[in-house]
Amino acid sequence: MKLLLVEDNERVARFVRKGLTEAGHTVDHADNGRDGMYHAVSEPYDAIVMDRMLPGGIDGLAIVEALRQGGNRVPILILSALDGVDDRILGLKSGGDDYLVKPFAFGELLARLDALLRRSQHQAVETTMTLGDLTVDMLAHKVTRAGKPVTLQPREFKLLEYLVRHANQVVTRTMLLENVWDYHFDPQTNVIDVHISKLRQKIDAGFGKPLLRTVRNSGYMLTDQP
Amino acid sequence: MTMVRLPGFSARTIAIGYALVSLVVLAMFAGPLWYAWHTNIQEVRTELIVSDSQRLANLFERGGPFALTAAIDSQVVGTNDGVRKIILFMAPNGVKLAGNLPGWPEGLPDRDGTGSATIRIDGAERRIELVRVTLGNGYRLLIASNLNRFDELERLFVYGLLGCGAAVLGGAALGGVLIRRALLTRVQGISQTTAAIIEGKLSRRLKEPRDGDELQLLTRTVNRMLDQIEHLVTGVQDVSNAIAHDLRTPLSELRARLEELSVTRPGEEETYAEIDAAINDVDRVMKIFNALLRLAEIDSGSRRNGFVQVDVAKLAAEVAEFYAPVAELKNITLDFAPRGALCAIGDPVLLAQALGNLVENALKFAPEGGMIAISAHQPQRDTVEILVADNGPGIAEDERPRVVERFYRGDVSRGTPGVGLGLSVVSAVARLHGGALLLFDNRPGLRATLQIAVSPAGGTQG
Repeated sequence: MKLLLVEDNERVARFVRKGLTEAGHTVDHADNGRDGMYHAVSEPYDAIVMDRMLPGGIDGLAIVEALRQGGNRVPILILSALDGVDDRILGLKSGGDDYLVKPFAFGELLARLDALLRRSQHQAVETTMTLGDLTVDMLAHKVTRAGKPVTLQPREFKLLEYLVRHANQVVTRTMLLENVWDYHFDPQTNVIDVHISKLRQKIDAGFGKPLLRTVRNSGYMLTDQP
Repeated sequence: MTMVRLPGFSARTIAIGYALVSLVVLAMFAGPLWYAWHTNIQEVRTELIVSDSQRLANLFERGGPFALTAAIDSQVVGTNDGVRKIILFMAPNGVKLAGNLPGWPEGLPDRDGTGSATIRIDGAERRIELVRVTLGNGYRLLIASNLNRFDELERLFVYGLLGCGAAVLGGAALGGVLIRRALLTRVQGISQTTAAIIEGKLSRRLKEPRDGDELQLLTRTVNRMLDQIEHLVTGVQDVSNAIAHDLRTPLSELRARLEELSVTRPGEEETYAEIDAAINDVDRVMKIFNALLRLAEIDSGSRRNGFVQVDVAKLAAEVAEFYAPVAELKNITLDFAPRGALCAIGDPVLLAQALGNLVENALKFAPEGGMIAISAHQPQRDTVEILVADNGPGIAEDERPRVVERFYRGDVSRGTPGVGLGLSVVSAVARLHGGALLLFDNRPGLRATLQIAVSPAGGTQG
């Protein structure tokens, strides 16, 4: 995928660029708003990672807004040192697709970026998704594994639905917290892990290959690949 | 209390205002008096000389010029300086027959009747009120009254008036100075205290005047403000100390870890394990920072723009459901009693966080096989409460007010994970929602009550 990174902090930029390149993406980098804007309008990108605080007192949100007004629909992930629910809402309102607070773990950035890229690829809402021998019927809220019905609580189903939509992708605990429960705080307990292990009990236990895997230092992944 | 808007009051304004008002009053008093005095005197005098002239004219009718000359001679004395009345009786040929003027003066009106004029007598200008009568056969009679004898009185009156004006102005100036001095002493007291406060003596307060005057209100308000400032500053200092203290531990660990790595250069496997541990240390530091920032954000009251209609009971049910698996794992009974919808205006994101903190607290302290009860109800029409009760060790009564302070960790929580900000966040969220966090003894355990207003009182905050 071809990505644009707009970030003025040299060290952060180098670190992110290196990580993304290793993940197989092509990365263009702009260290100021003007160049960022120029790149964004002159070349087609699959996604943009935009820092909010840019040199010259430019707020990255202004660039995002300008792009959106110009009809540019490219997925944008906003990076910001401003950690407030309000800042997050503002970031999403001005046209960002996701919002990540600095300092961030690279795994979190990669997972969110993958989710954005995936979302923009197949916009079609699928009603039934399969992953190996797991079938999830989004409309009827029915789940089967190897032909056997699996009974899930509504919230468990929502959790599985999110994982299935992001199959073969890392999803972080924060992403689950935000998207499945709509909570925006750091739980002091391992509550997300407990929910995952309960879901595992239902969809993996007693079946051949485990689908719901833990990715160290990052989060979880639902995958049927070896 | 409604206040009439007045122009800015300084001693000078007061003095000038006082002087102007006094002068206006003086003019209101003197003006009519002056006018009345003049018209009255004029009328009386005119009447006098007119009746005089009629008397003399009658005498002339009856006794002719000789009788009149004799009468006038007996009336006037030679000089006329200071004499009230001037009389002149002239023969038709212009010869003076009697009277106290040397000759017919110039500048008189050339007709009969009353009037006033200025004439020269003994080389001095005199203002007179006169009656001129033409008697039979061309004889002329002039009767006048000398106005100058009233000059003295008038002068006195004018001097008196000017004196009063000067006294008023002097009084205003003196009053202004005195008021100014009194105000300055007051204000000086205030500014001295304020200067001391600026220098860092935050405990100083303004002296309250004993006589409940206008400045008392100001003094009180300023002192209340100072109390609040002192409270905030102490809070900030406490927090800074606590941050320094709380961050020192993970940061020193991190530093030691990295230093050891750099010195010992262990094998790759161990190096990576150490790096992972270092990342965990950093994450801990970040968590503390995020919690602090969130707290500051909530405290600043700027979060009211996230307020919407929330079903508090449903929110509590969802939080209970969210933590149910954790309770199950610890073999704790987590009980939520649904009671139907409870609507309030609030920020669902923050309320969920506050409630989550309370439940996590309870999960942390409830014993194995213990029990947590969550319930929501509406004790009054304008209040909604969410209760989280556990049967853990609880919080000693003397500690309860302190546990909501930032970084305060109660005795029982020593050695448990957490940064000591959980209850501070709950308390801040409650305040933002026009309520409070109340802590009770659950005998045994803690019963935490998150109280919020059904609709926040008129948006006094941002």
